[in-house]
Amino acid sequence: MTNLETFSYDNKIVRNFAIASVVFGIIGMLVGITAAFELVFPSLNLGIPEITYGRIRPLHTNAVIFAFVGNGIFTGVYYSLQRLLKTRMFSDLLSNIHFWGWQLIILAAAITLPLGITSSHEYAELEWPIDIAIALVWVVFGINMFGTILKRRENHLYVAIWFYIATWITVTVLHIFNNIQMPVHLFKSVYVFSGVQDALVQWWYGHNAVAFFLTTPYLGLMYYFMPKAANRPVYSYKLSIIHFWALIFIYIWAGPHHLLYTSLPDWAQSLGTVFSIMLIAPSWGGMLNGLLTLRGVWDKVRTDPILKFFVVAVTAYGMATLEGPLLSIKSLNAITHYTDWTVGHVHIGALGWNGMLTFGMLYWLIPRIYGTKLYSVKLANTHFWIGTLGILFYAIPLYWAGWTQSLMWKQFTPDGFLQYGNFLETVTQILPMYMIRAIGGTIYFVGVIVMVYNLMKTAFSGKLIANQEAQSAPREVHVAHKNEYWHKWIERKPIQMLIVSAVLILIGGIVEIIPMMMIDKNVPKIASIQPYTPLEIEGRDIYIREGCVGCHSQMVRPFRSETERYGEYSKSGEYIYDRPFLWGSKRTGPDLHRVGGKYPDSWHYNHMYDPTSMAPGSIMPMYPWLFENDLDTKYTAAKIKVHQSLGAPYPDGYADKAVADLQTQAKKVVANLAKDNIKQEGIENKEIVALIAYLQRLGTDIKVDNQNK
Amino acid sequence: MGKYILEQSGSYNWMAIFALFTFFIIFIVAIFMILRKNDPLMKHMQELPLEDDETQIQ
Repeated sequence: MTNLETFSYDNKIVRNFAIASVVFGIIGMLVGITAAFELVFPSLNLGIPEITYGRIRPLHTNAVIFAFVGNGIFTGVYYSLQRLLKTRMFSDLLSNIHFWGWQLIILAAAITLPLGITSSHEYAELEWPIDIAIALVWVVFGINMFGTILKRRENHLYVAIWFYIATWITVTVLHIFNNIQMPVHLFKSVYVFSGVQDALVQWWYGHNAVAFFLTTPYLGLMYYFMPKAANRPVYSYKLSIIHFWALIFIYIWAGPHHLLYTSLPDWAQSLGTVFSIMLIAPSWGGMLNGLLTLRGVWDKVRTDPILKFFVVAVTAYGMATLEGPLLSIKSLNAITHYTDWTVGHVHIGALGWNGMLTFGMLYWLIPRIYGTKLYSVKLANTHFWIGTLGILFYAIPLYWAGWTQSLMWKQFTPDGFLQYGNFLETVTQILPMYMIRAIGGTIYFVGVIVMVYNLMKTAFSGKLIANQEAQSAPREVHVAHKNEYWHKWIERKPIQMLIVSAVLILIGGIVEIIPMMMIDKNVPKIASIQPYTPLEIEGRDIYIREGCVGCHSQMVRPFRSETERYGEYSKSGEYIYDRPFLWGSKRTGPDLHRVGGKYPDSWHYNHMYDPTSMAPGSIMPMYPWLFENDLDTKYTAAKIKVHQSLGAPYPDGYADKAVADLQTQAKKVVANLAKDNIKQEGIENKEIVALIAYLQRLGTDIKVDNQNK
Repeated sequence: MGKYILEQSGSYNWMAIFALFTFFIIFIVAIFMILRKNDPLMKHMQELPLEDDETQIQ
């Protein structure tokens, strides 16, 4: 061996991301457990707005996705990328900017979400200044990654790196298009797209956040760490090539399966279903490739906890990617959508696939970068069994709860009436399941604490090898042969790989989204639909701030069981001024699209103050602060102007008299309350009045249209 | 312009069908080409994660 170059791998950045992943994992899971218990004991929020369910649910999802899993991705990518390319990261400075930038973004999320500063798009709740920060840090990561790839000593890019490249480009595209907003002020923005178009863009993003943040980078980690742990090459490299190209092309199309039976045009729903079913093939190809990597070493799985974690992770990936397509079949989706089945499904992915793979990776990686052995294999095995048990206790009750509740929603008496006409009956029925779920989450969390102890003892028994010395020959100059295997070309060319990946993922997005935006007949207009009044806009923003969308949908599907319960099914034309759309994805409480005019103003007043006063047994939290907080009208005019600039047909100069109109409407609400003997000093200036005005408006415009006909 | 073309095309289902066919053609051809290839490169690529430990000195 001559001409070897000496260099070092940066282990410190790997260690930093690993610590961040664990720390934020603990926080994210604790918030999740709190939210789960709040569903059973609503008063657990202690009357504090910042820790109420609606506000901490997005905190939980963001913490787990972007803090726990996100930092887990970077841990694995920074470790594997250097070694697969036989070079140090492109720039230590960029590595550090990436690390601290990402943690600051998480900190910003942890502060803003409990304060109710949210755009309400699921998994994209952060407001526009943080969105810009995410974009900048993501670009820093990209430069660092591609810089490393370009200065590599290994000619060919291993399949794990393809997954990292596809992740980077797709997340970039998704993040930009799902956050096209017009700022009102520093903490408030309005989406450019509205209603059904906003819904399509959001779920194109939402589904692919799962695909390209929770799946493709972790598949890259699977293709790297699983062979390492098993000490055998991946079962079939050819299969991994097919897995990669098929997966990234198909995944991007599947978003509309989140909107089946909604007002989204049928053609888009059908595309979502067809491509979701097709996803089974590449997903299971990948799962089998991972599991078959263990061929000949299954005996090691009995004793090696790392392999145990990987086996359960890959199995959970297989189960979730079979379940997902099945849930995309319309007849099954009609039962499962809006229920806890979806929550169970998501957690098979999060706890099983992402969680267990992260734990296995950390058990493998920490001893190596600290130059020592794992402190206790026995404790790691204990963690494995606790974690697996936690997943089962979490998911099974939710599947049960989902089926039970959905069947109750759809049950008719022999006389043709809804058997469970009171929505609350279907909630109290499944409360024991919610309790078991919360316990399941706690069990899983205990396992994580065991891991933290084990890894800390491991780290303390060694010393971080911050700069691991390495040697490798310089990169060979490749001379292409005449009949060279075609795929070799792209494996050597990261930029071409980036471009081809981008083209593939853009095809799905373009075919689904552009016709939706450009063809008017996709959203048939309804003459009576008017934009919200200033008071209703403020009420809507309170609805968004409190995270009501986390428990209430605003989409009546065209089923008899829903039209009987809620009223006329929802039409796409009703949402043309809804920025953002608030269709929701889960019904812990009933749908609210037709709630306008269903109850008197006093009912809402009492219900928001103490839900059990109007609905005994309700698990909705109390909102006493809405009765104390003065309505902030400082930005009302600015909001009207932004909505107007996006096409809402307010008269010219209306923004200037918006606050006066708001006050006039507030007085009407107060007069209605007074009729029912509800009097509160200064109530016309309180937030509750705006919320009542918004709720009373919901779904009512179409009734005017029907009367005219 | 784009809107005009889309509107004039009557049904835009053809876009979805076109994409579906593109997928099938590209991937059936790709699968065929990948599976029939027996290249030493595959072995090299498969071994990459296992080789990188050899670069470490400590």
